Amino acid sequence: MNVRLRVIAGLTLAASLTACAQWQVQPPAAWERGLLAKPEMRIEGDPLQERFDQHIHMSKENASGGSGIGGGGCGCN
Amino acid sequence: MAAIENGSVTSSSRRADRSLLAAALLLPGVLPLAQQAHAEAAPEQAVVAAKVLDYQDRQPGLERTHVQAPAVYLLLPIRGEWSLEASLVQDSVSGASPRYHTSISSASRQTERRSAGDVKLTHYAARQSWYAGAAVSDEHDFHSRALSGGASFSSEDNNRTLNLGAAFTEDRIGATGDPTLDARRRTMQVMGGVTQNVSPRDIVQGSLTLSRGTGFYDDPYKFPDHRPDQRNQLVAAARWNHHVESHGATLRSGYRYYADSFGIRAHTVDAEWVQPVGSRWRITPGVRYYTQQAARFYVDPVYDAVLGEPFPPGWTPGTISSPDQRLSAFGALSASLKLDVTLDAAWAMDLKLERYEQRADWRLGGKGSPGLAPFSARWVQLGVSYRF
Repeated sequence: MNVRLRVIAGLTLAASLTACAQWQVQPPAAWERGLLAKPEMRIEGDPLQERFDQHIHMSKENASGGSGIGGGGCGCN
Repeated sequence: MAAIENGSVTSSSRRADRSLLAAALLLPGVLPLAQQAHAEAAPEQAVVAAKVLDYQDRQPGLERTHVQAPAVYLLLPIRGEWSLEASLVQDSVSGASPRYHTSISSASRQTERRSAGDVKLTHYAARQSWYAGAAVSDEHDFHSRALSGGASFSSEDNNRTLNLGAAFTEDRIGATGDPTLDARRRTMQVMGGVTQNVSPRDIVQGSLTLSRGTGFYDDPYKFPDHRPDQRNQLVAAARWNHHVESHGATLRSGYRYYADSFGIRAHTVDAEWVQPVGSRWRITPGVRYYTQQAARFYVDPVYDAVLGEPFPPGWTPGTISSPDQRLSAFGALSASLKLDVTLDAAWAMDLKLERYEQRADWRLGGKGSPGLAPFSARWVQLGVSYRF
């Protein structure tokens, strides 16, 4: 991996950790997490829909990934 | 789909929060099942779901590829500490892919099938989970095998989860009409991510994925097409889900940055608005924008004065170059609309429509690659799920 990609990776990780550290200031208490428990608030969505959408985008665009690993390859790209 | 998501109602978080929950239930606006949104909690209900996809893409004056794909999904809790997830899909593809740039010959028309499946076994413990997974995909000219593993760890207050994972994929590539082609490609991936509850109405996630692949990257159905035999990829992604109490709705949004050693840089942003209508229906409009710069070896449709079409200027055997439109510079916009209905405590159905279009001029921050026809697609997904 070239130097530029490593720098970008490092900066992204640092920014993410910094952001999380900031947000840690007032995390919700257990009794405040009712809205967070709604199905639509889950980060993961409909598994079959996500598989289809990701497969279509992967076959028509160069970029892929970011929502999981280990899904296997495809001859469509 | 609602039933699948509801199937992840957790037990461990409820145990942890039981005393506080009893008090919380006395407060207005708190759901009876105040559970975690994190992945390390075991599901309580099994889910069986099926979905069918109908996909059609086109370029001006040409219907290109048509795909029909039924798929099934299973989520099975096992003894409260384990879960098994599996899915199967079979694609039937007919139509044509360009031989070079956007030119399609009658010889490139084809009908083929792809069968793919994956399985994932997860073990849950106190504030952590571990998983192992496998995936296969088979076409007559392409075979892929993948193994993956990972873990999630939650903070003591269950507001933060750290996700780590690794995967190895081996692809075997052949080509119709070339029985001598038997090439391999191996890819190693590692990823790390953090999911954080940042307020009573906001969840964010950041992740970083690094991939290193070696082997055969050429497209055997394009000519001339010869690519580097190594590709390193970096993906940095962020998601933010925000509940809008005034509308009872949820805004789901995301951003992804992609970079690889082919020279491609890409940005993706997406957002959808989940609006409940009554107690049983949800309507979800969504938009997505994608932009990429061209690979450094992508060649525009300008051809050698002597060799002619499709050879790029100065082409010699072994030249690293590709006319693949997917490696060009372009932007893409899509819009979607999804309807969910919960029929009863067990059954749910959903329908999603999506329209997608690629244009060179839609690339962010400059003109896209010249001489390429716009590309568009539409797809429909119809699903049903049952939980028990």
